[in-house]
Amino acid sequence: MSRIPGLRRLMRIVRNDTGVARAVDDELHFHLEMTMRELIDAGMSPDDARREAGRRFGDVQRTRQRLTDLDRALLGQERRVERWNAFVQDLRYAVRGIRQKPGFAAAVVVTLGLGIGANAAMFRIVDRLLFRPPAYLASPNLAGRIYFEQTFRDKRAANTYTGYRRYLDLRENTTSFDAMAPFTVNSLAVGEGTDTHEMNLGVTGADFWKLFDVRPVRGRFFTAQEDRPPYGAHVVVLSYAFWQTRFGGRDPLGQQLHIGPAKYTIIGVAPERFTGFSSAPVIGFIPMTAQMGDANPDLKHPWYDTYYMSWFEIFARRNSTVTLAAANADLTRAQQLSFKKQATISKNLSSFDIARPSAFIGPVLLNRGPNEGKEAKVATWLLGVAGIVLLIACANVANLLLARALKRRREIAVRVALGISRWRLFAQLLTESLLLAALAAVAALAIAQWGGDAMRRVLLDETAPGPTAFADSRILIVVAALAVLTGVFCGLAPVLQATREDVASALKAGSREGTVHRSRLRAGLLVAQAALSVLLLVGAGLFLRSLANANGVRLGYDADRLLWVDLNARGTKLDSAQQREIRQSLLERAARLPGVEGAARVVSVPFWMTWEEDLRVAGIDSVSKLGDFTLQAVTPGYFSTSGTRILRGRGITEEDHAGAPHVMVVDESMAAKLWPNQSALGKCVRLNADTAPCNTVVGVAEDIRGSDIGKRDMHYYLSIAQFHPETGGLFVRTSAPAADHAEAIRRGLQPLMPGASYVTVTPLSQVIAGETRSWKIGATMFAVFGVLALVIAAIGLYSVIAYNVAQRTHEMGVRVALGAQARNVVGLVVREGLVIVLPGVALGAAIALVASHWLQPLLFQTSAKDPPTMVGVAVTLILVAVLASWIPALRAARVDPSVALRAD
Amino acid sequence: MLAADLDLLQGTLDLLILKTLTWGPKHGYAVASWIRQTTDDRLQIEEGALYTALHRMEKRGWLESEWGLSENNRRAKYYQLTTQGRKQLRAKAAVWTEYAGAVFKVLKTT
Repeated sequence: MSRIPGLRRLMRIVRNDTGVARAVDDELHFHLEMTMRELIDAGMSPDDARREAGRRFGDVQRTRQRLTDLDRALLGQERRVERWNAFVQDLRYAVRGIRQKPGFAAAVVVTLGLGIGANAAMFRIVDRLLFRPPAYLASPNLAGRIYFEQTFRDKRAANTYTGYRRYLDLRENTTSFDAMAPFTVNSLAVGEGTDTHEMNLGVTGADFWKLFDVRPVRGRFFTAQEDRPPYGAHVVVLSYAFWQTRFGGRDPLGQQLHIGPAKYTIIGVAPERFTGFSSAPVIGFIPMTAQMGDANPDLKHPWYDTYYMSWFEIFARRNSTVTLAAANADLTRAQQLSFKKQATISKNLSSFDIARPSAFIGPVLLNRGPNEGKEAKVATWLLGVAGIVLLIACANVANLLLARALKRRREIAVRVALGISRWRLFAQLLTESLLLAALAAVAALAIAQWGGDAMRRVLLDETAPGPTAFADSRILIVVAALAVLTGVFCGLAPVLQATREDVASALKAGSREGTVHRSRLRAGLLVAQAALSVLLLVGAGLFLRSLANANGVRLGYDADRLLWVDLNARGTKLDSAQQREIRQSLLERAARLPGVEGAARVVSVPFWMTWEEDLRVAGIDSVSKLGDFTLQAVTPGYFSTSGTRILRGRGITEEDHAGAPHVMVVDESMAAKLWPNQSALGKCVRLNADTAPCNTVVGVAEDIRGSDIGKRDMHYYLSIAQFHPETGGLFVRTSAPAADHAEAIRRGLQPLMPGASYVTVTPLSQVIAGETRSWKIGATMFAVFGVLALVIAAIGLYSVIAYNVAQRTHEMGVRVALGAQARNVVGLVVREGLVIVLPGVALGAAIALVASHWLQPLLFQTSAKDPPTMVGVAVTLILVAVLASWIPALRAARVDPSVALRAD
Repeated sequence: MLAADLDLLQGTLDLLILKTLTWGPKHGYAVASWIRQTTDDRLQIEEGALYTALHRMEKRGWLESEWGLSENNRRAKYYQLTTQGRKQLRAKAAVWTEYAGAVFKVLKTT
């Protein structure tokens, strides 16, 4: 047919809108012409014939329009069907491909699933820490947390915690805010009798509810009338979850709940997932004025009129007509007024010009602000790490797909030769990788769900199960987006390779023919994989060393053998004699409990509660300028209980009773700071006033760490009998890990507590764990991701080497036939593996060195360029490379030359 | 020339076209002439309506079209029945026969 010129064009089917119109014209034209010819043949004049043909046809223009419309609709319909059919065909083709090679598909799905899943799980955490505003927060752009800034010891620092007087000052003197509320989470005893448990409650003000776009599911929220100092109303709004578990969803309104020392009336229930500004679940919300009124009944020093106690943060919403800068200026003015007012009361306050107080409204999420936690930094790093794992997984999958595409060269060439368009081929291959990515996304969701909960436990120290990943649209969107991205990205390499393929040579060549396809792209991917693995493993190594260093630090007390016993009065009013008595009886009882090696009274707890007094030392102008000196007041036997060593002199003993001369034990750092190059023993230190009695230094103890694990504290000990005998709790030393004894000791001591008061027993190791957590997280997560990356990279290397060996079977056969020994062949193949991995190792190490600058602040007493870590990782990678190429190498060495040479 | 006054019953045109095409693919002009000849010019159809019907049935999937060369070597659009079109023809013919039979019966009882 194509021999007749122009015919092909003539026969072409119309595929566009103008084509449709032309075709209709052609059709009608043909018809009218035929009719006219027939009429002329029958004897009509041409003019009459034309008229008659038109008459018979009717309205030509209208028909023409109608036909064009019909045909256009038909064309659209056909195109949709065609596209759908193509898609179904591609899908079928992809499914067939997956079915033919289930192992291959499983490898891809698992690799990508792990990569995407790791990212989704990390995203959940980072989202929580950094992006997701608290549930129900009204206009997140206007809401914020108030930060106070001032200069102290030449450093400008931002702080969020403040007291009630300050809060009232800011409320009175600012005009830029629609709502402003104090908020803190308090652990309070809830319930009665043996059913009493400490639970978290949101303690806040009436304005709190205005900051959220929230309606009570039952009852109402508390109002400004119920939130007035000195005594607020005893009303509580329950959280949804607590309402469900405690009241089974029955009407709780009007019922009483024992919270702390008082009974609170339940007035409402907050909606599901509402936790206010708390990141952890709370059981309800109470007015701060009610809680503080109970806790501080003493109105000689009213809690709401002092600047000294700082126990909550302020959240506010800026009026939408006020700019951020104006609001901050407004806040700063109010804060400066407040500071001046404070200065008239307090003599100890630093001068206004030095402190230069200011305030601003910062992000609601603490980790977005200037005082971000280490967890958030580590989590952000880990998100990057998860991204690297995904990259490695992607590289691997691209590699696998590439290998498969190479194996299918001939099939693809045949399809191209048969006239399949490049675009269709492209769509087909892409459909395949997208289908695999979709399957991986399903696996990823399962991994994110399971791994995410585990990660949250490690990272956020949360044990409560979170919302399920499947219910969370943000996670679903992230997973879907990652799946599409990776699907396209992984699919791209083989698609490009395949569509570039030269049909003729591919059809002609057997695997023996022509050059061996050692793709540079594949090798490049492997180098990248190796480099990224090095990066992650170096990270893991550095964090592991940090953790080991942190754990290896001598704290100056035996944290894992110590329990801290705290007393909670809860409504029981005791005078100071009774306070002394009850502590004495607790001490005596504790010492006799089984498993206890010693007990002593204390007034402060490392990392949790510190106590400072103003010190006066002869010959030193201002001791406080030399740094922070923290104190501990103890009973005799403290040092043997805590395990703190006395280096010189003696500890606190029975002879240091209330009437005896006042004594003090200092630690080495303090001694060195106050009396450099002198003996501290016998020196005199006065507390708070130059006229106060002398505390004579009778001993020097080893340093302890109680504020920062990397820093030795300047710390001193007093005899509690000579200091504040009516305060504090106990340290109890146990014969085995303290946590095992905590409950038994609590049960042993509780009967001594009068009325509704109670004791809490906390292992000190739990306190320390909080301090080392960021390194533990870093070590765990980098190690998990690093090993994951290494395994994926090893599989990738193995598959590439194995593939290359399979392609070179012929060559190996020739070598063996020419007398090559097995060991030569093995060496040849293993060397090939190393040639790929070594540049990767070098590249990874180089990147790690560059990145060390940013990682350094997150480490503990470890250089980010730690040579043993670097070397260890390099050796590990090389070993893995050797192992990964070993199996294909052995296979190559076993090639039977007669078979290899005859094949293909 | 009874036809000019005879309103074609609804759907009858479709039926005629489908029937016409049972003898093989035809272009529009051939369909029109065939109907005219077979009915001895008694049924005269407005050709615009005929083309509209052809295209409509093509869109519904009862017909398919293809460009080909006519008897006098001109380019023409040929229509052909699809399986679905044949099914439609059978169904419509059955209904029409029944209908006509019923009407005829009434007319015969004088």
